[in-house]
Amino acid sequence: MKIKVILLIMSLCTTIGMQAQKAMDSFEVQVDGLGCPFCAYGLEKKFKEFKGIKKVAIDIETGNFSFQYPEEKKLTMDAVISQVEKAGYTPITAKITRASGKIETKETNITELTSESEIVTQQLLVAGKCEMCKSRIENTSINIPGVTDASWAVDTRVLKVTFDKRQTTTDTIQKTIANAGHDTRSHKATQEGYEQLPACCKYERLDQE
Amino acid sequence: MMKYRVVIILASIAFVSCKEVQKEMAWRHSETIVLEGIHPIGIAQGKEGLWLSDGDHNRVVLVNKEGLIMHTIDSLDRPMHIDANGEDLMIPQYGNDKVLMIHRGTSSQVKITDSLDAPAGVSFVNNEIALADFYNNQIHYSSKGYSIDDDNITFGKEGKADGDFYYPTDVQITKHNIWVADAYNNRVQVFDKKGNHIRTIGEDQKMNAATGIYVSEDTLFVTDFENNRVLVFDLEGTFKQELTTAISKPTDILLVDGTLYIANYRGHNLALYTWIEVQDTTSQEEHHHDDHDHH
Repeated sequence: MKIKVILLIMSLCTTIGMQAQKAMDSFEVQVDGLGCPFCAYGLEKKFKEFKGIKKVAIDIETGNFSFQYPEEKKLTMDAVISQVEKAGYTPITAKITRASGKIETKETNITELTSESEIVTQQLLVAGKCEMCKSRIENTSINIPGVTDASWAVDTRVLKVTFDKRQTTTDTIQKTIANAGHDTRSHKATQEGYEQLPACCKYERLDQE
Repeated sequence: MMKYRVVIILASIAFVSCKEVQKEMAWRHSETIVLEGIHPIGIAQGKEGLWLSDGDHNRVVLVNKEGLIMHTIDSLDRPMHIDANGEDLMIPQYGNDKVLMIHRGTSSQVKITDSLDAPAGVSFVNNEIALADFYNNQIHYSSKGYSIDDDNITFGKEGKADGDFYYPTDVQITKHNIWVADAYNNRVQVFDKKGNHIRTIGEDQKMNAATGIYVSEDTLFVTDFENNRVLVFDLEGTFKQELTTAISKPTDILLVDGTLYIANYRGHNLALYTWIEVQDTTSQEEHHHDDHDHH
């Protein structure tokens, strides 16, 4: 009988332990401004202030930053965004997968195609110079209503963008990208917007047509 | 006929002599040492050999000439630009704001009364110590032993003016000066040992993250991280040469016995360069020419 009780208690402890291990929310943030280990470790350092943070991973090239945090602490999207900004960086997208399976996101591509949609693919010259520029240009593009796909090449500086002509235009796309700090052939980024780019993204300015 | 032959021979000798005059010295890539599983950030030469900080793996390793790990100091918190002198090794830890001194395998914490925020680089020699304090945009310097206490000199603030910094990552003490890799202002700054600004170097070279420096008796080497190159200047700041071969996201650089060791963070290797005689500098890709387009 004693053995049965011990086994029952051990089993209960194991189950509780496993539940405690599983009860973690997962966070995925794409951060603008990482470019070197100094920046990446800096972001990590600022997030260490969240006691209990686990499985911190940073991809310096893409700016993808992920970690896990205990579900019971109910870390909010706003708190994550605020902490990224406190570290000196700009969150581009963010996604929380709660332990319950519920998903919360900061960004969305709201493009909805209809039978009237007229899909085209165009190539646009967009100034930029690094992988962080690529992330910013592509994310800015993909979040324009009407755009369904966007891919920018570091070497050629060409943005290949697919969109619904009935919902947006190349002029709107270029203007939106310029507002994010990157010169295009049709629209120049403001000096303020350019200055706000991370140091590693300071590209050669582009002349407009 | 004989006269013509003599003239041709003399002309040939003169031509060869001219070619001899054109010979110059330059840095050339000689070897790349692959570092299996090491992502090097800082590099330093001690009595035991070549030390590398591996921030991604929270360790500092001693490697041999083949790049194999001979000794590991682990359980660190993002070690960055290390320095070594003889049997002493100093490790700034970016993640926990502590600086370790390792002597013959025994570690002690460097006494620091200032509140650091991400120490990124350290230099120590002859009882002098200098620290690059990344997030505080400051340099701390002391000439009274290997500690940073109330008597130390602190200089710098965030900004773009001479004497300001925008995330300093590396520092080196020389006989008369303190040299700083002012990383995200894309330049190197030189100070006297009271913290007075002497000169700024490299602002016209369109660097993109000047992450690491090494200063020899007559030359300054700077790693230009995002542009995958190392720039060579004289100590007055005159640009001499651009190195690009086998360089991939370089973070630090060191000159040992005439060989230049470049730590390639993304390349996971060390690129070695040697100072050799080159015959026709104008045809060489990496040598200095004034109208060079760096992008």
